[in-house]
Amino acid sequence: MAHDWQPDFEQLVDDHQSMVFSIALRMTGDRGLAEEIAQDVFLELDKHLGKIGSPEHACFWLRRVTMSRSADALRRRRVRSTDLWVEFEEHHGAPVEVRDSPLGARLELLLATLPEAQRAALVLRYQEDLTPDEIAATLAEPVATVKSHLQRGLKLLRAKATDHLREYIRDKKEYIRGV
Amino acid sequence: MEEFEQELRQAFERRPAPPSLKRKLMDRRADQRGTQRRRGHIQLWQRLAASLILVALVSGAAEWVRHDREERRQGEAARQQVLTALRVTGRALDHMNTQLAAHDRTEQR
Repeated sequence: MAHDWQPDFEQLVDDHQSMVFSIALRMTGDRGLAEEIAQDVFLELDKHLGKIGSPEHACFWLRRVTMSRSADALRRRRVRSTDLWVEFEEHHGAPVEVRDSPLGARLELLLATLPEAQRAALVLRYQEDLTPDEIAATLAEPVATVKSHLQRGLKLLRAKATDHLREYIRDKKEYIRGV
Repeated sequence: MEEFEQELRQAFERRPAPPSLKRKLMDRRADQRGTQRRRGHIQLWQRLAASLILVALVSGAAEWVRHDREERRQGEAARQQVLTALRVTGRALDHMNTQLAAHDRTEQR
């Protein structure tokens, strides 16, 4: 039964650190800041552990607080999307480059250029595989707003990715010609 | 669009957290707990001191009230003594007056 569940802080950290870190990373585009946010979120969880009734509740709570903390951090730093891009490339250039798909490798970078609300909806949809209803509950927003953010974000990301692919193909052709 | 969404799902897979995250987190947690414990001790002493001050203030006030009542009681007793003395003196003077009047009447005869 849910109320019999005894939360184990270390176990929760082990289970969810990747999720919390990834959300914070994709929302802020800064690895150091994401790690700091993840620590803050877990320390806050430690304080509220008595109010957490089930593993699902813990997961929901962590997603919600991570989103909120990431938004706060972005507001504090007033990072512009272009700065985020540069920062993201500086911090994550190497791991991204080794991926197989050129589009997939750049999608994360392109994500950082989207407006914050659209980025949040897309991260929860495609990283966490949440439904629009669940995203709405996590972000405390109406479902219609979430659906709109998802549609617009997806459209914008697709357009940016298409532009990027064109550039990529052109560069490849020029490289082959040069060789 | 579905293909693109599939690509997104692959690109947005969770990243492993830095290996140092948990260690740093547990260190910060231990620090916070230490600080909370210290803060708890300080608060305990502050509460104790505040309680002692409160007890001293209440005792002082009670003593002051008791002392004030005692003074009033003594004052009232003194007032009663003075009144009694005045009554006694008044009676003595009345008695003296009566005797003098009687003496005067005797002399006139």
